[in-house]
Amino acid sequence: MRWVALVLAVVVLLPGCAERHDGPGPVTLVFKHAKILGPSDPIPGLLREFERRNPGVTVRSEPLTWTSDEQHQFYVINLEGASPTFDVLMLDVIWVPEFAQAGWLLDLSPWVTRDELAPHFPAAVAAATWGGRVWGVPWNMNVGVLYYRADLLAKQGLAPPRTWEELVTQTERVRAAEGDPRLDGVLWQGKQYEGLVVNVLEHFWGSGTALIGEDERVLPQVDRAAAALTFMRGLVERGVSPPWVTAGDEELTRRPFGDGRAVFVRSWPYALDLFEQPDSPVRGRVGIAAMPGHVGGGPGAGATGGFHLAVNRRTRHAEAAVALVRYLGGEPAQRALTAAGVALYPTRMALYHDPDIVRARPQMPRFHDLALAARPRPVTPWYLMLSTTVQPEFSAVLVGVKTPRQALDQARHRLEYMLGGLR
Amino acid sequence: MTARQRADRLAGLAFVAPAALTLAALALYPALWVLWLSLQQRVPIFGIARFVGLDHFAFLATDPRFWNAARVTLVFTGVSVVLELVLGMAAALALQRQRVGRRLALSLLLLAWALPSVVTARLFEWLYHPSAGLVNIVLGRPLNWLGDPTLALAGLILADVWRTMPFVALLCYARLLTIAPEVYEAARVDGAGRLATLTFVTLPLLRSILLVALLFRTLDALRAFDLMYVLTGGGPANTTETLTVYAYRSLFQTLQLGFGSAIGVVIFVLVMAVAAVYLRALRREGAAA
Repeated sequence: MRWVALVLAVVVLLPGCAERHDGPGPVTLVFKHAKILGPSDPIPGLLREFERRNPGVTVRSEPLTWTSDEQHQFYVINLEGASPTFDVLMLDVIWVPEFAQAGWLLDLSPWVTRDELAPHFPAAVAAATWGGRVWGVPWNMNVGVLYYRADLLAKQGLAPPRTWEELVTQTERVRAAEGDPRLDGVLWQGKQYEGLVVNVLEHFWGSGTALIGEDERVLPQVDRAAAALTFMRGLVERGVSPPWVTAGDEELTRRPFGDGRAVFVRSWPYALDLFEQPDSPVRGRVGIAAMPGHVGGGPGAGATGGFHLAVNRRTRHAEAAVALVRYLGGEPAQRALTAAGVALYPTRMALYHDPDIVRARPQMPRFHDLALAARPRPVTPWYLMLSTTVQPEFSAVLVGVKTPRQALDQARHRLEYMLGGLR
Repeated sequence: MTARQRADRLAGLAFVAPAALTLAALALYPALWVLWLSLQQRVPIFGIARFVGLDHFAFLATDPRFWNAARVTLVFTGVSVVLELVLGMAAALALQRQRVGRRLALSLLLLAWALPSVVTARLFEWLYHPSAGLVNIVLGRPLNWLGDPTLALAGLILADVWRTMPFVALLCYARLLTIAPEVYEAARVDGAGRLATLTFVTLPLLRSILLVALLFRTLDALRAFDLMYVLTGGGPANTTETLTVYAYRSLFQTLQLGFGSAIGVVIFVLVMAVAAVYLRALRREGAAA
């Protein structure tokens, strides 16, 4: 009998051997996710439904801290320590390739086929796959959009801007007509953090360039990138945006627009739910448009974000964990999440035209079109290194302490040094 | 050495051993581990782990971001500690004279200090809000506190002074309470005015407690992290990025364990050097008293 115990111990301790064998008997899965804010949390109901469909499986929900940096730190420490304290995890789309490369995620390819992912937005699928394998199931969708004051633009007979240059002239017209010195032009996120990189990327794409080229080169067209940054700095210098956007994050920029103090704001879909609250001063006056492009560049595209579900590679219950991920990413679960009225948007495209959902949230078809045209941030394991390296450089351009050329040269120099030893 | 002396010595060692072992396990071992890490290129997610010797330190020596962070750290420490000491001492002296509501004043002071620093940071985020913030409403000017490269560091220093000045004030106040009234009576009899009493009686008596406060505050300020992390993220343009924020970003955001540890080692050396200078001053103070 002794050798049986020994073999069992080896099987359990050896990662990679144990993971595919779900023993008989009750299984408890631990699901690590951020708490859903909103009128009601639909997650517990979904988990109970999953348990009902999978007898013998219990799911324990463990909350994650709310800020993205802390979540990342938690995962890094716990996954690198290789402790199987949780089985299923919710993670920011930009971490998927990093975690996959680190060997922390279970390769879902044997279960989740490309066909199964087809109903999700292409940008979400692109962020869930890396190196030809599937590492996550898209769960909720985020996309950068331009909100505008439909009432103010209509007064001037203006249609929402297609280019940033058009946006600038529209701002000048509206402000001249309104004559309100407290009415700002366009608000966006210029604080030195991840949000700044998202905003700059959208300007890069609108100018027909990117941070990482098709051939994996950093800043393939420096001239276009520099022109985009010059334009962003110009927004601040010319007073189209107030000077404090250089310290603005999502909430700091959403509030003034929500108080009726700006013509445009670049934000995410969650903001619309707040603009349409019964006591909101801008209720019924907000329009949604695609991110503008640049004259001589390309069409604008919003950046995507959101969360995916993945499985810890060290899980002892791979089958059950994968089942949970597929269930939560599936149509009924995403429908329930969307119907609960929380400010989360599904990754499954069909739900955006579902009659029941559209009746409660008429803006859904509009967001569908914007998310379909949107682009993911660079899908690479070193995304965070890339982002934190360029953040201070972009910030330096916005506050005018470096020229775009200097900042881009220094960013490229640093990135080449850091990535040089890694590739 | 007699047998007795030897036994005494052994007993002494035995008594010191638990403390020494605990210290070694909790402080020395991690410190040595960080030192060892700093000599390696280690990026676990890319499976990179190789010995690079002093390469990271050589890179840091020519790294403008590092020198900028070092400068920000020193400016932040110097200015905030001086302001905290001066204002804290002034607050303590004012408290001593205060007749009514002294308890209330003390509890208000304590409140600022007792708030977790992340809460303080959030509080200041709204105080500094460009249009709706109390600071700008009081000043009557739309200052861009956290988004202007020339103002952001000053904004952080003000927040830090607001938060930790009470600590210095309480230390000084406690010392003031222990000064015997006879000392002041004697000064009055000798014909000392208010200014003379302050400079020749009160301040010299506060000296050693001020040195202790200086030591604590300097070491804390050198390691400042949460205020800048929450309020500015080190921006704009890295004008508020301290060494600890740089180390954090390298370690936990980009997972460069070796490179991040190298920055950690520099912070450690800096803090140790400052502590050594202060401790020497304190020892001299002890010998003089």
